[in-house]
Amino acid sequence: MKKALITGITGQDGAYLSEFLLNKGYEVHGIRRRSASFNMARIKHLCAHPRLKLHYGDLTDSTNLTRLIAEIKPDEIYNLGAQSHVAVSFEEPEYTADCDGLGTMRLLEAIRLLGLEKKTRIYQASTSELFGKVQEIPQSEKTPFYPRSPYGVAKMYAYWITVNYRESYGIFACNGILFNHESPLRGEEFVTRKITRAMARILLGEQKNLSMGNMNSLRDWGHAKDYVRAMWMILQQKKAEDFVIATGKQYTVRKFIELAAKELGITIAWKGKGVDEVGFVKAIKPLPGLDAEIKIKKGEVIVRVDPKFYRPAEVETLLGNPAKSRKVLGWKSEISFEGLVSEMAASDLKLALSEHCLNKAGYGAVKNC
Amino acid sequence: MKKALITGSRGQDGAYLSRFLLKKGYQVYGADRGGDTGIWRLRELGIEGQVKEIALDLLEPTNIMDALEKVKPDEIYNFAAQSIVKLSFEQPVLTAEVNAVGVTRMLEAIRKVCPKARFYQASTAELFGSTGGAQRNETTAFYPRSPYAVAKLYSHWITVNYRQVYGLHASCGILFNHESPLRGEEFVTRKITAAAARISKGLQSKVIVGNMDSRRDWGYAKEYVEGMWLILQQPKADDYILATGETHTVREFIEASFTAAGFKLLWKGKGLGEKGLDARTGKTLVEVSKEFYRQAEVDELVGDASKAREKLGWAPKTKFKDLVALMVDAEFKRLEKKKVNL
Repeated sequence: MKKALITGITGQDGAYLSEFLLNKGYEVHGIRRRSASFNMARIKHLCAHPRLKLHYGDLTDSTNLTRLIAEIKPDEIYNLGAQSHVAVSFEEPEYTADCDGLGTMRLLEAIRLLGLEKKTRIYQASTSELFGKVQEIPQSEKTPFYPRSPYGVAKMYAYWITVNYRESYGIFACNGILFNHESPLRGEEFVTRKITRAMARILLGEQKNLSMGNMNSLRDWGHAKDYVRAMWMILQQKKAEDFVIATGKQYTVRKFIELAAKELGITIAWKGKGVDEVGFVKAIKPLPGLDAEIKIKKGEVIVRVDPKFYRPAEVETLLGNPAKSRKVLGWKSEISFEGLVSEMAASDLKLALSEHCLNKAGYGAVKNC
Repeated sequence: MKKALITGSRGQDGAYLSRFLLKKGYQVYGADRGGDTGIWRLRELGIEGQVKEIALDLLEPTNIMDALEKVKPDEIYNFAAQSIVKLSFEQPVLTAEVNAVGVTRMLEAIRKVCPKARFYQASTAELFGSTGGAQRNETTAFYPRSPYAVAKLYSHWITVNYRQVYGLHASCGILFNHESPLRGEEFVTRKITAAAARISKGLQSKVIVGNMDSRRDWGYAKEYVEGMWLILQQPKADDYILATGETHTVREFIEASFTAAGFKLLWKGKGLGEKGLDARTGKTLVEVSKEFYRQAEVDELVGDASKAREKLGWAPKTKFKDLVALMVDAEFKRLEKKKVNL
């Protein structure tokens, strides 16, 4: 039986990947950080699985990582653990570098130190944020990087140290340069999930409006479920290589909002420019059975711009060229943009409805801060 | 009076820059680890005691902030680094902590304590790695080939990022190899020139080196520190390459060194078996060992310093042969001095 070790198993990709690997018959080991807040929501349905084993650990702790890898002797390591939020990296640049950059090297060093160079394959979660201020459109494996945040710079360190350990020690170490990949499991601090969550809550009167940053940003959005399959495929190749994983299509953040609203029966129209731009309700067509619960009215402003959500250095456009992954891996993004938004909107509507029902019944303790 | 803070002031570049700035009337503060090990450089340049010592370690954020508060520098030159490529394969974590995260700590401290100070980050040609003979300029894509280079790539980009995001006057000098009599002996050039002089005086029998086919763009460190200073005098912060645009192999460097020391070398054999023999006596003076090969080799590095020439008016003057000769000459002088002292 193959063994996989996943760092960041409690995150979106960790959850989808563990399910994927368990279905393939793997024994799956996951590293989670001890935290005062419960962070197991995404994998709680897998926790009872006899082939899933969780360990406490931390990418900033070399001894811990080395011990775990020595005990598990995994065939594959997926390094998904990271301080993964761009805006937070401006507040915590040192921690971001330690965890995202050096953390990757600690794993590679552990493989080398334990003499597992020939046994253990490692996947490094690289990101389209490496391209930042893009040097060509679309971005491929050959496009030079131009990171625009401490997160991007730390991830660039991780990218190159992975390449370097592959070249220097012959470790089967690969980067997947993944463009944005979303799902109902995305953290609420990420823009897509923030949007689908807010739209559902606004519809039911649980939230007044949605505050946005730059709505002109263009992103290449895929579904995380498709993308974890690519991670696994990358490690099954004969030769260790780096791959861009993307859909090859891009949409603005504004388009994402429109589509998320439409899934709930809201037609949004826009007024004003820049910081003064607002999105208002142009029409509502209540979803079946929801007529009585809908709290918004035609003409109401539900989207505003708040400059606090602008990035200090904007990444305006990201568009991946998935030609290599299609050709070499035979991978293709299966779930469309519309399908992705629709799934996220439906899932968040369900969540908002339960919140709404609790509130109506007087148990309104579930509040976002 | 202007104040400059130099981390790594007792390294090769730090020492030359200290002397250069002192001559310009700067008050110079130096932050160094490792006690007095590098003080000989300041002594050789005649500036011992003139650089004010300040306790600043790139591993400690609060200490950096505290030091900046005390000094209130106008200019900061960050040379402190684990600077040996080969050692970075043994100590990748320390290399990253100092060379990469250390720069983030420094930039964060500057942002909070002295955002008007100008910052120079010592980037390196090692960022480019090697993909053939083409010249590298400021727009060439990077390809680091060692934990040292990957860490330096991080610090290069974090410097660019802090300039763009916070408007700091922060610049990177991407310096190609720059040597001098003050190079540490763990670097191949100084190891060779020191060996050539010692062998000539009968104090050493031979020198063992790694890949002799590596080509490098070698300039004189004394001239390069002037380029660094010029970079910080520009109204706008930017990144520049400093280089000669000319490459020579390690083998050529060895030949030139032994010639300057009065030998004529004959080459025999190939690859790891290659030897440099004394043409007169037939004795083996140069040998090759795998030990000095890198895990991932960088075969050739050559820089295009046009931007520095146009914008800074900077150009290297000392030619390859003269550089090697002055390094060997300095070795002989040191040996003479030692003899006198004995």
